[in-house]
Amino acid sequence: MFFAQLREAAGAVVAEIDADAVDAGQLWTMLEERWPRLAAQRDTVRLARNGAYALEDEIFRNSDEVALIPPVSGG
Amino acid sequence: MRIEVEVSDRLLCAAGAIGSDGVSGAVVEFAGVVRAEEHGRAIEALYYEAYEEMARSQTEKILRELERRFPCQAVRVLHRTGRVPVGEVAILVRIEAKHRAEAFGMLSAFMDRLKQDVPIWKSLA
Repeated sequence: MFFAQLREAAGAVVAEIDADAVDAGQLWTMLEERWPRLAAQRDTVRLARNGAYALEDEIFRNSDEVALIPPVSGG
Repeated sequence: MRIEVEVSDRLLCAAGAIGSDGVSGAVVEFAGVVRAEEHGRAIEALYYEAYEEMARSQTEKILRELERRFPCQAVRVLHRTGRVPVGEVAILVRIEAKHRAEAFGMLSAFMDRLKQDVPIWKSLA
Protein backbone atom coordinates (compact mmCIF):
# COMPACT_ATOMS: atom_id res chain seq x y z
CA MET A 1 0.00 0.00 0.00
CA PHE A 2 1.25 3.44 -0.94
CA PHE A 3 0.39 6.69 0.78
CA ALA A 4 0.89 10.42 0.24
CA GLN A 5 3.76 11.24 -2.13
CA LEU A 6 4.60 7.56 -2.61
CA ARG A 7 1.40 7.06 -4.59
CA GLU A 8 2.78 9.31 -7.26
CA ALA A 9 6.18 7.62 -7.16
CA ALA A 10 4.61 4.18 -7.50
CA GLY A 11 1.72 5.22 -9.72
CA ALA A 12 -0.53 3.02 -7.61
CA VAL A 13 -2.45 2.90 -4.36
CA VAL A 14 -2.33 -0.85 -3.85
CA ALA A 15 -0.25 -3.45 -5.65
CA GLU A 16 0.71 -7.08 -5.21
CA ILE A 17 4.19 -8.48 -5.38
CA ASP A 18 5.47 -12.01 -5.01
CA ALA A 19 7.74 -11.81 -2.00
CA ASP A 20 7.63 -14.71 0.43
CA ALA A 21 9.91 -15.03 3.45
CA VAL A 22 12.02 -12.01 2.58
CA ASP A 23 13.61 -9.51 4.93
CA ALA A 24 13.32 -5.73 4.63
CA GLY A 25 16.45 -5.40 2.49
CA GLN A 26 15.27 -8.03 0.02
CA LEU A 27 11.80 -6.51 -0.08
CA TRP A 28 13.23 -3.06 -0.83
CA THR A 29 15.30 -4.51 -3.66
CA MET A 30 12.13 -5.92 -5.19
CA LEU A 31 10.20 -2.70 -4.65
CA GLU A 32 12.91 -0.62 -6.28
CA GLU A 33 13.17 -2.96 -9.24
CA ARG A 34 9.46 -2.57 -9.93
CA TRP A 35 9.13 1.11 -8.95
CA PRO A 36 12.55 2.75 -9.47
CA ARG A 37 11.25 6.13 -8.29
CA LEU A 38 10.84 4.75 -4.78
CA ALA A 39 14.60 4.48 -4.40
CA ALA A 40 15.04 8.19 -3.76
CA GLN A 41 12.68 8.00 -0.79
CA ARG A 42 13.96 4.80 0.80
CA ASP A 43 15.91 6.55 3.57
CA THR A 44 12.83 8.31 4.92
CA VAL A 45 10.23 5.58 4.39
CA ARG A 46 9.31 3.06 7.08
CA LEU A 47 7.75 -0.31 6.36
CA ALA A 48 4.66 -1.53 8.14
CA ARG A 49 3.55 -5.16 8.18
CA ASN A 50 -0.09 -5.97 8.92
CA GLY A 51 -0.76 -2.58 10.44
CA ALA A 52 2.31 -2.20 12.66
CA TYR A 53 5.78 -0.79 12.04
CA ALA A 54 8.10 -3.59 10.98
CA LEU A 55 11.00 -4.51 13.23
CA GLU A 56 14.54 -4.51 11.85
CA ASP A 57 14.61 -8.29 11.46
CA GLU A 58 11.00 -8.66 10.32
CA ILE A 59 10.23 -11.33 7.74
CA PHE A 60 7.61 -10.53 5.11
CA ARG A 61 5.33 -13.14 3.56
CA ASN A 62 3.01 -13.19 0.59
CA SER A 63 -0.05 -13.08 2.82
CA ASP A 64 1.09 -9.87 4.58
CA GLU A 65 -0.34 -6.43 4.03
CA VAL A 66 2.69 -4.19 3.68
CA ALA A 67 2.48 -0.42 3.76
CA LEU A 68 5.18 2.07 2.86
CA ILE A 69 4.97 4.90 5.35
CA PRO A 70 6.58 8.20 4.28
CA PRO A 71 7.23 10.85 6.98
CA VAL A 72 3.93 11.56 8.70
CA SER A 73 2.36 14.98 9.26
CA GLY A 74 -0.86 14.57 11.21
CA GLY A 75 -2.28 16.94 13.80
CA MET B 1 -7.25 4.23 31.32
CA ARG B 2 -10.17 4.42 28.92
CA ILE B 3 -9.13 5.11 25.33
CA GLU B 4 -11.30 6.20 22.44
CA VAL B 5 -9.81 6.81 19.00
CA GLU B 6 -11.58 7.88 15.85
CA VAL B 7 -10.07 8.67 12.46
CA SER B 8 -12.78 9.74 10.06
CA ASP B 9 -14.11 12.55 7.91
CA ARG B 10 -16.60 13.59 10.58
CA LEU B 11 -16.77 17.31 11.41
CA LEU B 12 -15.22 17.95 14.83
CA CYS B 13 -16.39 20.49 17.38
CA ALA B 14 -14.23 21.62 20.28
CA ALA B 15 -15.35 22.44 23.82
CA GLY B 16 -17.64 19.57 24.61
CA ALA B 17 -19.32 19.33 27.99
CA ILE B 18 -16.67 19.45 30.70
CA GLY B 19 -17.46 16.96 33.38
CA SER B 20 -15.78 13.90 34.75
CA ASP B 21 -16.43 10.68 36.57
CA GLY B 22 -15.64 12.25 39.94
CA VAL B 23 -12.16 10.68 39.99
CA SER B 24 -10.59 13.12 37.55
CA GLY B 25 -9.89 16.63 38.78
CA ALA B 26 -8.39 17.80 35.51
CA VAL B 27 -10.02 17.75 32.10
CA VAL B 28 -7.89 19.09 29.26
CA GLU B 29 -9.26 19.49 25.76
CA PHE B 30 -7.01 20.43 22.86
CA ALA B 31 -8.16 21.33 19.38
CA GLY B 32 -5.72 21.54 16.49
CA VAL B 33 -7.19 23.98 13.97
CA VAL B 34 -6.20 24.57 10.35
CA ARG B 35 -4.46 27.93 9.98
CA ALA B 36 -4.77 30.20 6.96
CA GLU B 37 -1.05 29.89 6.25
CA GLU B 38 1.12 26.89 5.49
CA HIS B 39 4.87 27.35 4.95
CA GLY B 40 4.33 31.08 4.44
CA ARG B 41 1.66 30.54 1.83
CA ALA B 42 -2.03 31.48 2.11
CA ILE B 43 -4.27 28.44 1.96
CA GLU B 44 -7.99 27.68 2.05
CA ALA B 45 -7.86 24.15 3.40
CA LEU B 46 -5.69 21.15 4.13
CA TYR B 47 -6.32 17.61 3.02
CA TYR B 48 -5.64 14.82 5.53
CA GLU B 49 -5.05 11.27 4.40
CA ALA B 50 -4.69 8.36 6.81
CA TYR B 51 -3.86 4.69 6.90
CA GLU B 52 -6.90 4.52 9.12
CA GLU B 53 -6.61 1.10 10.71
CA MET B 54 -2.96 1.59 11.59
CA ALA B 55 -3.51 5.20 12.66
CA ARG B 56 -6.03 3.95 15.23
CA SER B 57 -3.91 1.07 16.49
CA GLN B 58 -0.72 3.15 16.56
CA THR B 59 -2.50 5.89 18.52
CA GLU B 60 -3.70 3.36 21.08
CA LYS B 61 -0.23 1.85 21.34
CA ILE B 62 1.34 5.27 21.95
CA LEU B 63 -1.27 6.14 24.58
CA ARG B 64 -0.65 2.82 26.39
CA GLU B 65 3.09 3.55 26.43
CA LEU B 66 2.57 7.10 27.69
CA GLU B 67 0.13 5.94 30.35
CA ARG B 68 3.08 4.60 32.35
CA ARG B 69 4.60 8.09 32.56
CA PHE B 70 1.33 10.02 32.73
CA PRO B 71 -1.39 7.97 34.43
CA CYS B 72 -4.75 9.31 33.28
CA GLN B 73 -8.34 8.17 33.61
CA ALA B 74 -9.38 8.63 30.00
CA VAL B 75 -8.08 9.87 26.64
CA ARG B 76 -10.13 10.53 23.54
CA VAL B 77 -8.45 11.28 20.21
CA LEU B 78 -10.47 12.28 17.18
CA HIS B 79 -8.60 13.02 13.94
CA ARG B 80 -10.41 14.26 10.90
CA THR B 81 -9.55 13.11 7.40
CA GLY B 82 -10.38 14.53 3.99
CA ARG B 83 -10.62 18.25 3.24
CA VAL B 84 -10.51 20.45 6.35
CA PRO B 85 -11.10 24.17 5.66
CA VAL B 86 -9.22 26.94 7.46
CA GLY B 87 -10.63 27.51 10.94
CA GLU B 88 -11.99 23.99 11.32
CA VAL B 89 -10.73 21.36 13.74
CA ALA B 90 -8.34 18.73 12.38
CA ILE B 91 -7.65 17.00 15.69
CA LEU B 92 -9.39 16.95 19.03
CA VAL B 93 -7.81 15.44 22.13
CA ARG B 94 -9.59 15.24 25.47
CA ILE B 95 -7.80 13.98 28.55
CA GLU B 96 -9.15 13.27 32.01
CA ALA B 97 -6.70 12.83 34.87
CA LYS B 98 -6.63 13.18 38.62
CA HIS B 99 -4.32 16.18 38.40
CA ARG B 100 -3.39 18.69 35.71
CA ALA B 101 0.30 17.71 35.54
CA GLU B 102 -0.49 14.24 34.13
CA ALA B 103 -3.13 15.65 31.79
CA PHE B 104 -0.88 18.34 30.29
CA GLY B 105 2.08 15.93 30.22
CA MET B 106 0.05 13.32 28.35
CA LEU B 107 -1.24 15.89 25.87
CA SER B 108 2.16 17.32 25.06
CA ALA B 109 3.91 13.95 24.80
CA PHE B 110 1.10 12.44 22.74
CA MET B 111 1.06 15.28 20.21
CA ASP B 112 4.84 14.91 19.77
CA ARG B 113 4.48 11.18 19.15
CA LEU B 114 1.51 11.65 16.82
CA LYS B 115 3.60 13.86 14.60
CA GLN B 116 6.37 11.22 14.48
CA ASP B 117 4.58 7.90 14.35
CA VAL B 118 0.89 8.01 13.43
CA PRO B 119 0.35 7.38 9.71
CA ILE B 120 -1.60 10.50 8.80
CA TRP B 121 -0.46 12.94 6.13
CA LYS B 122 -1.55 16.44 5.31
CA SER B 123 -1.28 18.19 1.98
CA LEU B 124 -2.63 21.36 0.44
CA ALA B 125 -6.25 20.88 -0.61
